[in-house]
Amino acid sequence: MDYNYLKYKKILIVDDESDLLEMVTSILEQDGFKTIKTAGTVSEALKMCKEWKPDLAILDVMLPDGNGFSLFEQMKTFTEVPVLFLTARGEDEDKLKGLGLGADDYMVKPFLPKELSLRIGIILRHYYQGENPIVPLAGSQIDFDRAEVIKENEHFPLTAKEHDILLALYRNAERIVTIDQLCEAAWGDNPYGYENSLMAHIRRIREKIEANPSKPVSLITVRGLGYKLVLAEK
Amino acid sequence: MKDITKLIRRFVGILLLSTILVIVLNIIILAVISTSQTANGRPWTTAKKTAEALQETETGYILSGDISDQLNRENAWAIYIDNDTLEVKWHTENLPDTVPLQYTISDIASLTRGYIDGYPTYTGESENGLVVVGYPKDRYWKHMSPSWDYDFIKNAPYTVLIVIGVNIFLIFLIYIIANSKLLKSVKPITNGIQALPSGEPVYVREKGLLSNLAAKINQTSDILQKQKRNLQRKETARANWISGVSHDIRTPLSMVMGYAGQIEDNESLPESERKKARIIRQQSTKMKNLINDLNLASKLEYNMQPINPKPVNLVAIARQSVVDFLNLGIGEKYPIEWNTDETLAACVINGDKELLRRAIGNLITNSQTHNPDGCTISVCVEKSDTEYKIIVKDNGIGVTDEKLEKLRTTPHYMMSDDGTTEPRHGLGLLIVGQIVSAHKGTVAFDHGKQRGFAVTLAFPIINNSI
Repeated sequence: MDYNYLKYKKILIVDDESDLLEMVTSILEQDGFKTIKTAGTVSEALKMCKEWKPDLAILDVMLPDGNGFSLFEQMKTFTEVPVLFLTARGEDEDKLKGLGLGADDYMVKPFLPKELSLRIGIILRHYYQGENPIVPLAGSQIDFDRAEVIKENEHFPLTAKEHDILLALYRNAERIVTIDQLCEAAWGDNPYGYENSLMAHIRRIREKIEANPSKPVSLITVRGLGYKLVLAEK
Repeated sequence: MKDITKLIRRFVGILLLSTILVIVLNIIILAVISTSQTANGRPWTTAKKTAEALQETETGYILSGDISDQLNRENAWAIYIDNDTLEVKWHTENLPDTVPLQYTISDIASLTRGYIDGYPTYTGESENGLVVVGYPKDRYWKHMSPSWDYDFIKNAPYTVLIVIGVNIFLIFLIYIIANSKLLKSVKPITNGIQALPSGEPVYVREKGLLSNLAAKINQTSDILQKQKRNLQRKETARANWISGVSHDIRTPLSMVMGYAGQIEDNESLPESERKKARIIRQQSTKMKNLINDLNLASKLEYNMQPINPKPVNLVAIARQSVVDFLNLGIGEKYPIEWNTDETLAACVINGDKELLRRAIGNLITNSQTHNPDGCTISVCVEKSDTEYKIIVKDNGIGVTDEKLEKLRTTPHYMMSDDGTTEPRHGLGLLIVGQIVSAHKGTVAFDHGKQRGFAVTLAFPIINNSI
């Protein structure tokens, strides 16, 4: 999966440890991101948000002149930039506070470089998918904006449930999404007893997206656990 | 409350016993006294005998010796009054001078009921007259007008019973009122003592009969509360210390992990260097898990970790834990089998999703840690009549019987005491135990079917959950 356009997104990293800033920068650079800037304080971060207008901000919680939560709240007053907290504070309350404020993700240090890249990828795809709504699969393409699948120049409309299920799979592309998560995405908070309906929907989605629905290559079943959406390599 | 009823029963029992004892004692005393005093009917009998023993002869009247002796012994005198003349025809030698020798009918009526000149007198009927026996003035006391209402005598048995009954009732009433007052003042004290072991603050009003005891209970409660607070403060300090240390380790460890991961992924480096980096990355991951576990274990131990019980589906949680692991993409050596029956309905308990996920995750990690050469891990959820079970097992090297025994019996963190090379079952499993018991469940460790290690988490089914 290669989304080159996403690699040109501007990323701001805020942390008071210069060593850590350097390391995260190098991880992201290795991952192909081209424009990365860093800030060590709240005031510096606010200034850069206003002037440089990043597309994604990675914030630490403990900063010398304030904390990441209040920084995020100030940022929200003038920008809608997606935010990922990357912090040593691993308490559930902190996590809930960060996510409750509207952050897109919350990662606790220490972390694996791979995991950071994956999570950033998910946020960027989520936020900026509208700029490139066509998702390429092995045998077809999905147009989420128009809720349809294009296969061999034919257009197949997606129902609302099929759209929700596919979107949940796409946001976690290349990763297994459990049956329960998919049911929750399609049927909401009390998703018990929809497993059979889910299977029926998956079957219909496969008829639309797979070249050979009885031998799926894009929407893979992981027996008993869930499903995985495999994107086409460019 | 049970104690109070017991006390009342004991009191009433004692009262009954003492009443019976008092009655028996009274009867005995009465019997002893009445046998020692002169029988009520004796002077009358003496008079009657005297009348019978008085013989009229030609020389006059003669009293037989026996009776005469008896009269003399008692200092009694006797006269014989003739029916016709109402004169004294015979008398004993010791007749006092003041006793008249001529009587009228009214005199006779009076002496029969009472006295002659202060001497108590008793009459006996003779052939032609009346024998009167007189005793010394201080010998007998006579009731002069002994007559009672007929109904009173007729109803006497009932009257006596009623009086006794009323008396007993009154005594019981007084007793019960007095005791219940006492018990009333005892009740808050017993309640206070019973509440002490609960650990909650106890206050008993320091009033009444037992105010001293109440004050002592209040003092004890204060001391207990103070100790509890001190203990909590110490525990909090310790947990905070652990959480502080683990927090400070996180950032440096991020660097180790981050750079090691980058070197590992750098394809321009020789494989041998990348392998070294991989080992650094793997070990720092272990350290990360250890920090997380240490923090959580100390919090669970001191009950600081909030359990947010919500209806959760164990199947979904187990599935998510397996998928989390698969999505890490580092599990080629550790394939995971999902062996849950597809028709199993949702297994809902009240639980904390994150903690349960952590428990299952720890079991999967545990199987990996102890099988560096790889193994197949199997996860399944089952339902019996009373329990939901989550079973995590592997087909790896397993554990010795000795170790299994140790796992089952040692509730705390097991340090490796035989060198650092020995793999250690420790914090990870301890946390599993803490999390499961916080959900009122149980953990069972066992050998796998053929080989390997198996852990079963069992949670009771509560019917009223959704």
